[in-house]
Amino acid sequence: MADGMIEFREVTKRYGGLVANDRLSLSIRRGELMTLLGPSGCGKTTALRCLTGYIRPDAGRILIDGKDVTDLPTHQRELGMVFQNFALFPHMSVWDNVAFPLMIRSAPKAERAEQVGEALRLVRLEGYRGHYPRQLSGGQQQRVGLARALVYRPKVLLLDEPLSNLDAKLREEMRFEIKEVVTRLGITAMYVTHDQAEALALSDRVAIMNRGRLEQVGTPEEIYEKPGSRFVAEFIGLSNFLEGSVQTVDGAEMVVQAQHLRVLTAALPGAGPGQKVVLFVRPNEIEIRPRPEPGVVNLFEARVEKATYLGDTMDYRLTLGPGLELRVQTDARNRHDQGAAVWLQLPRVRSWIAEG
Amino acid sequence: MRTILRAYLRGLWEGKLVLGYTLLLSFSLLIIAPFLMILLRSVGKGWFGRLWFPPQLTLDWYRWAVEVGNIPDVMKNTLIIGVIAVAVSTVIGIFAGWAFGRRQIPGKEILMAIVLLPRMIPPITYALGVAKIFYTLDLVNTYLGVALAHVSVCAPYAILVLATTFEGLDERVLEAAGVCGANTLKRFFYVVLPLIMPGILASMIFSFTHSYNEFTLTLLTYGPHTVTLPVRTYLAVGDGYWEITSAMAVIMVLPSLLILAMIQRRAKPERLVGGFKGV
Amino acid sequence: MTSFWRAHSTGLVTLLLLLPALAGFFGLFFYPMLLTVILSFRPEGETVGWTLQNYATFLRDPDGQWVITLTFLLALGATALSVLLSVPLSLILRRKVRGHLFYRLMVLVPLVIPGLIGALGLLLFWGPRGWFNLFLLQFVPFVTRPVAVDYTPHGLVFFYVWLYFPYTCVTTLSALEALDPGIEEAGAVAGATPWQVLRHIVLPLITPGILAGSVLTFMAAFGAFSVPLIAGGNYRPLAVEIYKQISVPIPAHWSAASAIAMIMGVLQVAFLALYMRLIRRMGGAAAGAAR
Repeated sequence: MADGMIEFREVTKRYGGLVANDRLSLSIRRGELMTLLGPSGCGKTTALRCLTGYIRPDAGRILIDGKDVTDLPTHQRELGMVFQNFALFPHMSVWDNVAFPLMIRSAPKAERAEQVGEALRLVRLEGYRGHYPRQLSGGQQQRVGLARALVYRPKVLLLDEPLSNLDAKLREEMRFEIKEVVTRLGITAMYVTHDQAEALALSDRVAIMNRGRLEQVGTPEEIYEKPGSRFVAEFIGLSNFLEGSVQTVDGAEMVVQAQHLRVLTAALPGAGPGQKVVLFVRPNEIEIRPRPEPGVVNLFEARVEKATYLGDTMDYRLTLGPGLELRVQTDARNRHDQGAAVWLQLPRVRSWIAEG
Repeated sequence: MRTILRAYLRGLWEGKLVLGYTLLLSFSLLIIAPFLMILLRSVGKGWFGRLWFPPQLTLDWYRWAVEVGNIPDVMKNTLIIGVIAVAVSTVIGIFAGWAFGRRQIPGKEILMAIVLLPRMIPPITYALGVAKIFYTLDLVNTYLGVALAHVSVCAPYAILVLATTFEGLDERVLEAAGVCGANTLKRFFYVVLPLIMPGILASMIFSFTHSYNEFTLTLLTYGPHTVTLPVRTYLAVGDGYWEITSAMAVIMVLPSLLILAMIQRRAKPERLVGGFKGV
Repeated sequence: MTSFWRAHSTGLVTLLLLLPALAGFFGLFFYPMLLTVILSFRPEGETVGWTLQNYATFLRDPDGQWVITLTFLLALGATALSVLLSVPLSLILRRKVRGHLFYRLMVLVPLVIPGLIGALGLLLFWGPRGWFNLFLLQFVPFVTRPVAVDYTPHGLVFFYVWLYFPYTCVTTLSALEALDPGIEEAGAVAGATPWQVLRHIVLPLITPGILAGSVLTFMAAFGAFSVPLIAGGNYRPLAVEIYKQISVPIPAHWSAASAIAMIMGVLQVAFLALYMRLIRRMGGAAAGAAR
């Protein structure tokens, strides 16, 4: 087992009949920003709270920097945390909020002043030290939260959907700020969100969770380009799924019959002829051609059912046969009208063994 | 010294579950104990000296209260006064409640605060004036007099409850009834009345309870013919026979507890906080 | 005439509806209060004339001063003890411990009970033959005689607490429940022990709630009548003193009683105003605490 800065070892937490975390094992490396991504109820928040100590897992161990903290109370774990609803102390000024972790540790006043000043400089809020949370905007409040979390230079920074309460534009700006600060300080960070764009933009690695289990852990590219399961493929980016069965396997390639379509794809280990599989292709990878061309692989005839103009892209729904629908997104330069007969080229098709 | 204290407190803090339950249980005991003592005293015979419970049970004291203590008469007085007070308060409440709940009034909030003023200050303050007026008008020792004094206590709540009830009457329901073909009279009997009845009943129950328990104003306006239960119980305290006083106290509290139990099933307990205040 | 009616009909109807209430209010409250004010300036037993004698006699008399002091001390003592009881109680009750609904109901019981009954029960419980003294005599080694609680000032304070602490407890509890739990979590993650979270975060934020409830407790204790009447013994706070003035002497001292009632009213209003200012000053910081 690799030794990371943060280690989850077989962490399990149950609530009655519901398993929020199912033998979760995850290792976060030093200095990396790992995002736990998943739909509501997947267990990412539970995992975060097991790490903070607010929740005690039913089984498993949690390690921070090699030290087993599973039985350690929250206030002794030396973490920094940024909250979704900011959780600033309303009765304290910005300065006092940020100074709080130092005040609690009885840090000497001079040191306190220096560190708080630095933290506020880091988030560009030096001029606001006397303000109160209610006088600040959402973005400013979150920056105060970030300063407070980092003021005593913890080894680990936790972020619990920190941008969900901000509007879209602010979210994008704050994303960069957070990433910048974390990278500059070299802090190990665990980020929890349900927003996949955020996860892909920010993270060094992403851990996708579903129903208490890890579906896949990898870099944003790996997750997007090579989704390990149907769930991940569906959760990240747009997707098309086709069901079919393997016809022939020829070395590194195989042919899958999906209704009347014969699709060429990479061979799937363990899938022999007759095996039911699910094919997956992203809408923005499919090319629409007006005419068939000889020698092109995976070129199928289709008819445009619906064409939606989205400004910079066109979103098409096309049928290739009864019950065979594909969604395609292309740039808006080539328009195809509803009812038009076109040809679709599927350049890269991935597959998994179908369940059930 | 401080370290010892800190260690002790930390010990308590760690065992805080035990400490918490101990505090809660002893707290509950202290709340319930007075009632238990009244109850036990009212049925205890030969309870002298260092005994936790009465050695024998008896209904003698209740019998005494009824036969010698004149409880039936007192009960009759209390009920008659209560009925009059409720009637007057409810009439006031219906009219004023309708005005507050459904009509425009400039400075409504201030007016409402003024209406509630008699409940904000200790009753003894204005009971003095009421007593003086009643002496002049010869209303002392009359059912009407005492009942009117009670109205100052009951009416504010009646107005409050009924104002809320009437405010909640949705015009559109009436309109729908009209569209369905009901004329004014039918609308009143089939729609308005059923909708406001719970509010009116609640206001009447509250008013009656306040009048039933009312002590201070009664004390200043009563006479030999208009002794109510609270006053009678007070006079019994002066006599010094705890057993009899306890019996009267039980008789006095029983109906309130019954009403409380009835209301409990329908309304949230905390809502009553605004409706009841110690005499 | 009809145009006047048409123009003002709504207003007139409203006025008509309010008439019974206004009549009741004037006749049963406002006019009596006015009468009390007038009487307080009238020489005792007379029907005409103005004097400040009634006030002077009471305020200069050491007995009168003692009555005022006693009323304040009892009320302040009761309020302080109520706060000391309510805060830990609320802190315990906000976690949904087993049976917490029962305990919350217990908190509300004193509110529903007429003061007279409560006082009676308390007299019995804390009396020389009551369970409190029985417990002391049987289980506590150095107690050989019953401890006097009934008819003592400290006993009266206990009684006040029993009857009036719910006002403080209810507001404290709701202030606690209005707190954003995330704030306490933030404190813990930042390194604060549970005690530090309580001291630096929770208590400052619920102080306005505590104070708001304690005002009600204070007002109730200050104006208490039936309780000290039967349980105060020789200790007479203002309300009881007023009653004594019209029930003991013959003919009754209406003017003296009225003057005392006025003094009581003024003191209450003054104290309320001061309290309100204190609350307002402390309430500003916690504006953002509610979820």
